[in-house]
Amino acid sequence: MKSLIFRICTAAILLFSAAQYANAANVVVIANPDVSVSADDVRDIFLGEKQFAGNTKLIVIDNAAVQGSFLSQVLHMDAGKYNGIWTKKSFRDGLTPPAVKSGDAEVIEFIKRTPGSIGYVTSAPSGVKVIQ
Amino acid sequence: MADIFDFGIGRARPRRQAAAVLGASIFGVCMIIAVPASARVIDVPAQTTAAPVQPVAATPNNDAQMQVMQQKLEAIQNELSQMTSGLVNQSGSNAGLPLHGFMDVGYTLNSQGNNVTANPNVPNPRGFYEGRLSFYMAPQFSDRVRALAEPNFEVDQLDGTVGVDIERLQLGYAFSDAATLWAGRFHTPYGYWNTAFHHGAQIQTSIFRPRFLDFEDSGGILPAHTVGLWGTGKVRAGRGKFTYDWYLGNGPRIAGAQPVINPVVNPSDYQTGGLDPNIFGDDNHNALAGFNLGYEFPGMLDGLKLAVHMLNGKVSAYSDFPTTQFSSTWLNTTDLNVGGGSLVYLSNDWEIMSEYYGFNDKNMEDDSKHKSRAGYAQVGVNFDEVTPYIRMERVILDQADNYFSMQANGQSYARQVLGLRYNLSQKACMKFEMMNSNFMQELGRTALSYRSLNVQYAIRF
Repeated sequence: MKSLIFRICTAAILLFSAAQYANAANVVVIANPDVSVSADDVRDIFLGEKQFAGNTKLIVIDNAAVQGSFLSQVLHMDAGKYNGIWTKKSFRDGLTPPAVKSGDAEVIEFIKRTPGSIGYVTSAPSGVKVIQ
Repeated sequence: MADIFDFGIGRARPRRQAAAVLGASIFGVCMIIAVPASARVIDVPAQTTAAPVQPVAATPNNDAQMQVMQQKLEAIQNELSQMTSGLVNQSGSNAGLPLHGFMDVGYTLNSQGNNVTANPNVPNPRGFYEGRLSFYMAPQFSDRVRALAEPNFEVDQLDGTVGVDIERLQLGYAFSDAATLWAGRFHTPYGYWNTAFHHGAQIQTSIFRPRFLDFEDSGGILPAHTVGLWGTGKVRAGRGKFTYDWYLGNGPRIAGAQPVINPVVNPSDYQTGGLDPNIFGDDNHNALAGFNLGYEFPGMLDGLKLAVHMLNGKVSAYSDFPTTQFSSTWLNTTDLNVGGGSLVYLSNDWEIMSEYYGFNDKNMEDDSKHKSRAGYAQVGVNFDEVTPYIRMERVILDQADNYFSMQANGQSYARQVLGLRYNLSQKACMKFEMMNSNFMQELGRTALSYRSLNVQYAIRF
C-alpha cells in the first residue's frame, strides 16, 4: 500500500513538474550585432547597472509576451520586484526604464535596426547576436 | 475641399502624414486579404517580419501579379516598421518629459497629546495630516547627459503652511558605468538611507526615517542636502562590485540658534537652531567634503553591501534667520568630523539596514574635542505583500559640542519602532507603525518620553 501511494505521489510530482516546464517559454537574449557584452552582463544590463558596452550606450528592450519567463529564468524575480527596482533606479539615478515591445517580431525588428539595442525573444533569428 | 484630400505630404504635419500612411497600410492589408485564395501564395513567417517572402506555389498566369503583390507587401512592411519605430520613440525619452512622483497622507496618535517632542519647534500633533507631494523628472539629453529634479510640496509642521522646495536639482554626465559626475543640489551620499529613499514615502518600508537622519527642515542633525559636485560609480571587483561616492559642496550652517538656554530655570527656554544647507553660497567658505566606499557581494551573499563613509566640514552657528545671506550674528564654529559605516542586506525575503555614525568634532573657539555617536538597525521580513519590521535607534550626543547644542534636535534619545507595511498594489501601500521614544535629560535639555501610533497611506505614480 505504501509503495502504491509513493508511486502515485511520484507520478503526480513528475506530471506537475512537466506541466510547469511546458508552461515556461524558452528565452533567448539577443542584441544588435554591434553590441559586445557577455552572458554575465545580462543581469546588470536589465537592472540598469550596466549602461554602456565600450562606448556604445545600451538600449534595453522588454518583451511583454515573454517577460514573465525572462524574469523568472534569467533575473530570478517577479514583475513586481523588477518594476520596483526600476522605480527606485529612476528615482535615485535618473535612469529611464526599458521600453516595452509587444512580442518577438517587434523586438527582433527593433534590435536589427537599432545599434546598441538588446532584448529577449523565444527563438533566435538570423541577423542578430545571441548573448544567452 | 482640397485640404480633405491633402495628406500633408511635404508639410510639417507628422500626425496627418502618419494617419495617411496608416490608412494606406490598412487598405493594403485589406486588399491582400481580399485576394482569392488561389493567389494567396505568400507565406510571411510570424517571427521575422523583415525576412524576404518566398512564393510557395504560382502559376505562369499570375507570376507578374505575384511580383506586384510582393512589392506592395514589402512596401507595407516598411511603412509599418517606420510607424512602429515612431511609436517607440514617442514612448521613449523623446516623448516629452514623463512626470512621476510620490504622495502620502496619514494619521497620528500619541500618548501625550500635542507638543510632545523634545523640540517644540517641531510639534507632533494628533490627528490626520497631509504628507508630502514629491515629483521627480529625469530628462535625458543624450546618451551621457542627464538631469534629475525633485520638487517637493510639504506642509510646515509648525504653522500648517505649504512650502515648496527643489529637494534635488542635478545635472550629470555619465563618463561610463564606473563614473558619473553630478553638479547641483543632491542628497548627501553618506550611509544608505539618505540616497536610497529620498522623499518617496512609498518606496520606504517604514513611515518615518530614523530621527537623526531626518531632512534639515524636519529636524535632522546631519546635512541631508549638499549643493556642489558628486561623483559616483561602480566597478567590478572579482564577482562583486566596488561602489564609491565622493562629494564636495557648500558646508551647512546652523541658523536661528539661541546662544544661552536654561530650561531648568525657564521651562519655555529651548534651543531653536536648525541646519541650513546653504543652497546659495557658503557662509564661511569652508567646503563640506566626504566619501562613501562600499562593496556589493556576489553569489550566495547577493544583496549584501558593506560600506564606510566619512564627512568633514566647518559649520558656523548664527543667532538669527538672516534676511540676507551673510547678515546673521555669528555665535561659534565647529569642525565637524563624521565617520562610520553601513550594512545593508536586501533579498526577496529579507530587508536589513543598519548605519553607524561616529562624531569627533572640535569647537574652533577653544579647540575642545567631543565625541558622539548615532545609529540604527532595521529588520523587515517580506511575506508576499506584507512586511513586518522593527527598528532600533540610539543617539548619544555630547551637549558640550557646539554642533549639537546649537541645534534644536541635538538631544540624545532612544527610539524603538514596530511596524507593518501592506502593499495594496505595486504602487500603493498602507503602513502601521508604533513608536516608543525616550529623550534624555542633559545639559540644556529636558527628559521626555512618549509613545505614538502612526498610519500612512502612500502611493507613487
